[in-house]
Formats: sequence, C-alpha cells, structure tokens
Amino acid sequence: MSDIVIETRNLCKHFDKLAALDEINIQVREGEFVAIMGASGSGKTTLMNILTCLDTPTSGNVILDGVDTADFNEEKRRVFRSRKIGLVFQQFHLIPYLTALENVMLAQYYHSVTDIDAAKKVLAQVGLNKRENHLPNQLSGGEQQRVCIARALINEPPIIFADEPTGNLDEENENIVLELLENLHKQGRTIVMVTHNPDLGMRTDRIIRLQHGKYIGEKVIAHA
Amino acid sequence: MVVNKSSLSQLLIWRSLGLRMRRVMVVFLALMTGVAIITAMTSVYFDINIKMSKELRTFGANFFVGQGTGKTLTIDDYESFLHLAPKDSVVSSSPYVYGLARIDLEKVVLMGIDFSQLKTLVPFWKVKGDWVDVSFDEKHAMIGSKLAKKLEIKVGDKINLIEGRKQHPLIITGLIDSGASVDNYLVVNLSLAQRWLHKSKNIDYMMFSLLNNQKQVQEFSHVLQKNQPQRVIRPILKVSDSEGKILDKIKILMGVVSLVILVLSTLCVNTTLTSMVSERREEFALQKALGASNKAITKQILMETSIITLFSTVVGLALGYGLAQILGKTVFDAYIDMRVQVLPITILSSAIAGFFAVVIPTRKAISYQPARVLKGE
Repeated sequence: MSDIVIETRNLCKHFDKLAALDEINIQVREGEFVAIMGASGSGKTTLMNILTCLDTPTSGNVILDGVDTADFNEEKRRVFRSRKIGLVFQQFHLIPYLTALENVMLAQYYHSVTDIDAAKKVLAQVGLNKRENHLPNQLSGGEQQRVCIARALINEPPIIFADEPTGNLDEENENIVLELLENLHKQGRTIVMVTHNPDLGMRTDRIIRLQHGKYIGEKVIAHA
Repeated sequence: MVVNKSSLSQLLIWRSLGLRMRRVMVVFLALMTGVAIITAMTSVYFDINIKMSKELRTFGANFFVGQGTGKTLTIDDYESFLHLAPKDSVVSSSPYVYGLARIDLEKVVLMGIDFSQLKTLVPFWKVKGDWVDVSFDEKHAMIGSKLAKKLEIKVGDKINLIEGRKQHPLIITGLIDSGASVDNYLVVNLSLAQRWLHKSKNIDYMMFSLLNNQKQVQEFSHVLQKNQPQRVIRPILKVSDSEGKILDKIKILMGVVSLVILVLSTLCVNTTLTSMVSERREEFALQKALGASNKAITKQILMETSIITLFSTVVGLALGYGLAQILGKTVFDAYIDMRVQVLPITILSSAIAGFFAVVIPTRKAISYQPARVLKGE
C-alpha cells in the first residue's frame, strides 16, 4: 500500500481568466479509498475530469500509474482511459437498448475482447447475476449503478473513479453501492470518489478537500 | 467465452435503429421517396426519347425526297429508300403523285397517296367525315374542304373520274381541312392516281415521318446524299429541330425535378439524423468515455445510415419502377422500359444523398466532449 498510483504536481486548469484548479498537488497510493470533497465550484469535478483523462490541464503534471498524462493528445488519453481507468457516473449512463450484460461488455468492446463469462462474473460480483438480461429501464436506480460499477470493473483497471456515485440514489441503495465500493477497496482496488456528502467521505480512508480550485487540506479517517 | 466483437457491433447498430423506429422511418421514407422519384424520372428520361419522339410525330413528316433535275422517281426508288432508312426509325411514309383529272363537273388536281399511312403521316389534318385508311381502297376518296365547297360536295356524295368514255366512281368519305394546298385537291389511292394519270410507276416525291431521338433524320439524310446525290433530299429541319428542342427541355425539367427532390430528401434525412444524434449525445459521449475512437463512432453512424439507405434504395427502386409505369401509361399511353443505366444512377444518387446527409450529424457526434455531456452540460 505504498506505491503512488495518482500524483498531481502543480496542477492548474484555467477557463479564460478563471482558475478552476490552482496548483493542486495530491497523491493517492495503490489500494487507497480516497474522497475528494468540496462545495459546488470547488473544482472537484474539474480535477476528476483531468484525473480520468476526459480533460487536459492548463499546466502541471498528472502521473497516473507511473505515466504522465498531462500532455497526452485525445487519442492517447482515449487509449489510456480504456486501459487504466474505470468510471462510475452519478447518472449511471447505461445504453438504454443494451441489457445489463451487454452494457458491461461494451467496456470490453472498446478495450480488448468481449468475454461473456467475464462479464457475467463481474455482474455476479455486484449481485446482479439474475438481472443480467434486463434492460436499464427494467432495473432500479441502485441496480443501474451496480451495472455501472460492474462496467467499471470489467477491464480490471488499476484505478476506479466514482463521481457522486450515490447522488441519484435513495438511502437504501446508497448503502448498497457504498458497501460495494468498500468491498472493492478491501479487495485492494484503488478508488477515488468525488462527493459532497460528509457521511460518505467518512467511509473512505482519506478526504482531500478543495475550495475555490485550491487544495485546502486533507483528513485521514481512522476506521475502528 | 469470448464473443466475436462484430456481433456486439451489430447489436449496437440494430438495437439502436430499433429503439428509434419512428425517426428511422422518417429517414427511410425521405430517402425512399427520393430514390423512387429519381428511379421514375431516370427511367422515363432514358425512355423518353423513344416515347416522346413517337408523340412528337404528330408534327407530321419530317423528311422530303424529290426527283432532282432531269430525274424521275419511281415506286421502286421509294422502296429502296425505305430500306436505307435507319432501322426502326420510319413511323410512316408515302409516295405522292399529282396530276390534273376531270371529274363530273370540272378539272381538279388529283393527289395520290398511300391511304394506310395517312393518319400518321399527316395527323394534323382535320377531317370532317372519315379517313380512308386502307391502302388498296380505290372506291373511296377524300377531298380538300375548299374544293368541296367550290363543287358543293358533301361527305357521302358520289363523284366520277372521267377520261373520255372511261369513268371511275368514287365515294367521298371525308373533307380535309389542312390549312395548306391539299384543301384544293381530290385525294385518292396512290395506285389509282398513277394509273389514271398514266404515270405507271412514277411518283412526284416522297415524304417520311422518322423518329428523331437519335438524330435519325440527319443520318438518313447523309445516307441518301451519299447513295442518291442527284436527288432533292431535304430534312424538314423546322420539325426535327423542334422535336430535339422539346426533348431537351423536357429532359432538363426532369433533371431539375430530380435534383430538387434529391436535395430535399438529403435535407430531410440530414435534419432527422442530426436530431437522432442530438438525442444520443449521452450515448456517444459514454462510448467515447469508455474508449471509443472517433473512427468507431463514425463507423457506427455510417453503418446505421447505410442500412437505412440500403433498404430505402431497394424499396425506392421498386416503387420508382411502378411510378415510371404510371407516368408512362398516363402521359405516353405506353409502359416505360427499365434501362440498365437507371440502377447505377439511382444507387449513386441515394449514396450521395445519404453521405451528404450524414456528414454534419457525424461531425456533431464526434465533437461531443464526454466530460461535459456526461455531467449534463
């Protein structure tokens, strides 16, 4: 648990004259479960977009799994993202005309080979082995989010990023999804979660706080 | 178990089309209508030369062959000239014989012609009564309206050709109003005129009504000039040129109509595809976030559009063929032959329409930024 898998050095992102991120220097170790927290406009989504290679920084370095991605062009970011990063979205973003199983296999499709057994296995891992042939509109919000997590896991990426993963869920499903993330963490996965919910933050290893685009500190959570 | 990637690719394409069946149907109908009209127009275009040329033969004869200085023309010359005419180009033709003859009351100009060719050779004659339309009919005659008025002859009257003691009775079946000199003639069967006027096999001139969709009039003129340079050979350019001009104008009109329909279809398909892409912005953004390249997104949209275009083209071709038959039957009272050139032109047109229609939506789809779209911005 000592290898650094995410590191930013003097990371800045400017939109015209507005500094969305200003000199951010953070590190995440392998197997850590980290929460990035802050109020609206604090820059947590911008940071997440850069860490997931969906956006580029204005300056600074982003070292992911030992590779500096800051200067990657769109094509390199695309390939890197599909190989190294698992994405969990607040709004699930499942393809409406594909079943749960096919939605999971879609991530395989853009990564390497489509393996139906592997997709079934990962769906079973999130407790959806009996729902694999259901379309998204036949699943509850919690189930859809679990499909989204299964899709993030299928290519076995070294890092999983979850952007407000429980933002669209009721309390019961929020717990289910969070337990799932906790279990993945226990299995050794590195997870970075953006949230504005302090209770969720308390269930991670560490909370990184942002305010107005600046790093304002962090808190290590001591679990009993 | 590893699944073939193309099967998931096909799944994406077919399910996506199935989910948006209404919009797919709009694209299908727009393209199909375009293809059907282009098929119909192209079919008529390639067949119009024949059909319109036959229609335009109502202008009457468009080729004249006269005796030439010091030369005589015979019925044998006429037969040989007929053989020299471009294949299948002669709609009608007749030798003409003229001379003075006496009838009961006074001398008249007798015109001999092949009655069987009359209706197609001079279709613009207005005939009160009936045409004589049998070539060997020597019992009936037609008479110019002015001559009939002068001699107070009506339809059904009997007159006699008289030469000395010899008489030949004729029943008048029709009065001719041509607006030309024929209005002053008595028109009888060719062989009767030759015999009565003692012309044996000789004729004065011959007229031909030729199809001119492939410049047959000029071709016939060149052939005759080469074989019979001493004859007076005269294409009636006023008529044949008019045919060409009308055909050209109709073809331009059809081309413009086809082009307008193609542009409208393209615009309609473009608008619908753009709406479809906008609807699917999250889908494309997600695919890009999961690692789909712009090429993969482009391929997916092109495949979907190609499938719709393919079905539209097949159905459009069939409907277009039917439409061409309706047009042909309505306008020309004849069915339109499907020419082989129609297929590549129609397929190419629909491919061009599909391609231009899909360019803007595809550019739009690959321009989506996953970070912004997936965040709902």
